[in-house]
Amino acid sequence: MFAYKKRLMYPINIKKADLRMAKLLVTQYGGSNGELAAALRYLNQRYTMPDNRGKALLTDIGTEELSHIEMISTMIYQLMKDASIEDIKKAGLDPHYAEHNRALYPTDANGVPFTVTYFATTGDPIADLQEDMAAEQKARAVYENLIDLTDDPDVIGPLLWLRQREVVHFDRFKELHDMYLNEGIK
Amino acid sequence: MNQNFAFNDMMDSVLLPGIGPLMPNDENLNLFGPYEGFIKGNLFKDLYQQYKNYQPAKLTPNSEREELLLNLDQISFAAHELNLYLDIHPEDRKALALFNQYRKMENDAMNAYEVKYGPLTTKSDALEAYPWAWEGTVWPWEKEAN
Repeated sequence: MFAYKKRLMYPINIKKADLRMAKLLVTQYGGSNGELAAALRYLNQRYTMPDNRGKALLTDIGTEELSHIEMISTMIYQLMKDASIEDIKKAGLDPHYAEHNRALYPTDANGVPFTVTYFATTGDPIADLQEDMAAEQKARAVYENLIDLTDDPDVIGPLLWLRQREVVHFDRFKELHDMYLNEGIK
Repeated sequence: MNQNFAFNDMMDSVLLPGIGPLMPNDENLNLFGPYEGFIKGNLFKDLYQQYKNYQPAKLTPNSEREELLLNLDQISFAAHELNLYLDIHPEDRKALALFNQYRKMENDAMNAYEVKYGPLTTKSDALEAYPWAWEGTVWPWEKEAN
């Protein structure tokens, strides 16, 4: 069972509207390496982890990813909030506006809608954890690409923070993966 | 909350006097303090990986509400980091003791915030207020909440 806390995991207050960046950031919401895929990946894989270490870690990291979805969504919301129609057209977000106005919708940076084919569950803890490790590395790389594409400190701060969470999660998944391998747990 | 990149590691002692004894920096648990760990997004010194020359944003509260929120955010984050660590190291007594200290501090920090600025969960005592206080405070995705 999940319970909501009415605060962000890390504060976000973006003072300058930037539709170009909103259009790019959305990939960490609904793209193949994004936070929605991460949350669904771990929260689906957790049931068949072979022991309580795996069930606990995947539950708790999967839950944290839900908070990251909220952070990325908040960034997109704040970046688009006061945009004029003219600005929306200029940034190439008019297709988004046609379908969603200023509402959130999980797509990648090209507007391709989210799909569950972005993640897998195999029932094999080693295979699943290796996917999780790769997913964290890919998400880290995408955060770095996004950081390279902006000079707004209000955007860079949360992106650096989210990137660092990928680093920590990768290390925890790798630790568990190596424990299972060393202990011969399948 | 303001974000800038002039890192100030004095904040731990400013916001949390007496945090020193909570950090047993032995070979197993080499930890940042809660403020530094929070702004970096990583409580574990040995796991921290900087990107290029970027430094974490220094978070500066502009009001008492933001100060109480930052205090809660950082303590909650420290407890969460130890939670993930304990998930796969359930027999680490030092981490367990430290987790429980942060957990209690988180409960106190959340209560201190809620008494003045309203409920953060639907289990809060702040919901005894009239009218229904859950919708009486700003939602966290609005700029003014941060």
